[in-house]
Amino acid sequence: MMDQNANIASYCTSVELHGAGKIAYYWLHQPSERQEVSFADLDADTNRFANALSQLGFTAGDVFFTFLPKLPEQFIAFLGSLKLQLITGTLFANFGEEALLDRLGDSRAKGVITKKSFVKKLSRIRPSLPALEYIIVVDCDDHIADDILSYDRLMQQSTSDFIVPYTPPDTPSVLHYTSGSTGKPKGVLHCHRSLASQQATAVEVLGLRAGDIYWCTADQGWVTGTSYGIIAPWSLGITQIHYGGGFDAAVWFSILEREMVSVWYTAPTALRMLMREDPELFRRFDLSRLRHICSVGEPLNPEVIRWGREVLGKDIFDTWFQTETGAIMIANRPGIEIRPGSMGKPVTGIEAEILDDAGNFLPPGEQGHLCVKAGWASMFTTYLNNAESYRSKFRSDWYYSGDTALMDDEGYFWFKGRSDDVINTAGHLVSPFEVESALLEIPEVAESGVIAAPDELLFEKVVAFVHLKTGVQCSAELELKIRLYVSNKVSTIATPQEIIITDSIPKNKSGKIMRRVLKARYLGSDAGDTSTLEI
Amino acid sequence: MTTQEQLNSIFCMVFDDADISIRPDMTANDVDGWDSLSHVNLIIAVEGRFGIRFSQKELLTFKNVGDLLNCIDKKLSER
Repeated sequence: MMDQNANIASYCTSVELHGAGKIAYYWLHQPSERQEVSFADLDADTNRFANALSQLGFTAGDVFFTFLPKLPEQFIAFLGSLKLQLITGTLFANFGEEALLDRLGDSRAKGVITKKSFVKKLSRIRPSLPALEYIIVVDCDDHIADDILSYDRLMQQSTSDFIVPYTPPDTPSVLHYTSGSTGKPKGVLHCHRSLASQQATAVEVLGLRAGDIYWCTADQGWVTGTSYGIIAPWSLGITQIHYGGGFDAAVWFSILEREMVSVWYTAPTALRMLMREDPELFRRFDLSRLRHICSVGEPLNPEVIRWGREVLGKDIFDTWFQTETGAIMIANRPGIEIRPGSMGKPVTGIEAEILDDAGNFLPPGEQGHLCVKAGWASMFTTYLNNAESYRSKFRSDWYYSGDTALMDDEGYFWFKGRSDDVINTAGHLVSPFEVESALLEIPEVAESGVIAAPDELLFEKVVAFVHLKTGVQCSAELELKIRLYVSNKVSTIATPQEIIITDSIPKNKSGKIMRRVLKARYLGSDAGDTSTLEI
Repeated sequence: MTTQEQLNSIFCMVFDDADISIRPDMTANDVDGWDSLSHVNLIIAVEGRFGIRFSQKELLTFKNVGDLLNCIDKKLSER
């Protein structure tokens, strides 16, 4: 498959492979507004965009980002940029200035495509982004400035003929930033050979096959949204549904029914929100075409699986992967008995083990680090500008995922938690460091500590302990100010769901915030060894 | 200042966009960044600014900006 040209976008838009008239996706801007886009359209538009970027001076290895909500222009820009061999990243539309600055600055991004309403946000940080040459705006008819350009104008001026340059498999491709418990977010870089893992798992785990109508609800800012919302299905010639609206149980089920979706890939938080609805709602819809439901993002609790069986009459298959793995590594899937609450078993070609800190294999039933044997096709190739962190993720050819788990006697893996302080809220990883840094910028805040706390809906929620400066009184206005500041500087996902005013933040003798002490305080549990506690 | 004008200023603050101009038929799909989490920020801001409280039942009935406006006006008139 990949001996000639490994370019991901070539496979995704190939008229020869998929047929010019075949529908690549139905775009539902509103539930009732349906636009058909063929593979020929997708190929032509992505060619135009590649030509437009080329004419602006973009060349292989330059970094380009999409900063858009779910829109057709996002798919076109993403694939067009990959055709030109740019390193292509996606940014969540709800990112605030700090989050944008961290990502665009670290990657030295040369261009970004966005909406008019987001240009102001970008303009405020632009003086700190000397490498950013162009902002392309999807919803303006004409160029705004020499370096703030109209997408429509650029597309009108570009041809639909583009020859994708020869792309060796190790050519850098997709860039996603991921959060750690310390430091700034890290740029996880993949290369074009990742397609092999993404295609294989889309067949083996998602069960995609010719004739399917597939709906992946993930935002394209997330690795699931690129690996399984763009790359894998289109490279296999699968027709997708893309819906531009937010969560609404009745709307979602009307889409599943009306569009005759056969494979649905969604997230536990969405499923748990559906569980709160009256079961009668679901009985109104004919889901007979829906063959397969998969979930990703956080552990799928057994109650959701039971609900799926009782209310929908379907199994829901949990899958596990990370930004760094690029494709599904461990999964429940047809042909393997579902153990509710389990992550499932490694997919074909993947070796997973539970190891201790020293790299020793742990026996079944014992909790340790969830590790994957290095060398799979979609393995990340580096953390951009941070080779040391990349190296630290590997020991003796094993990738340490940062998740802790155990394996049972029959080879099923069971998620236990994180080995660091990263917060998994609704499937999004949030860095406590990023939130703490934003909180410190608020004049009234002296110091803060941010932790994950269990949450029935979100899996984990962001809880902020805040120590106010002397003389500052807590008030509803201040609490709102704190929430909005984090929302608008970092992202809405990072917004603290609880703000706890405290007299001090526990730190060790070197000044490190002791989040486990805060967590124990929150949960009312034993904080363990506090001998190094300074305050 | 009308209720709609006051609400508009809250939208601008919550969604960090001074150009937002709300209409009664607007929904979350029409405002960039209006997701379930920023909706919580919006409700907290509205309650604080107008000095009102919404019940869970009321929150579930809001399908667009018009519903929110009507509920605010109703609560203000009952004070």
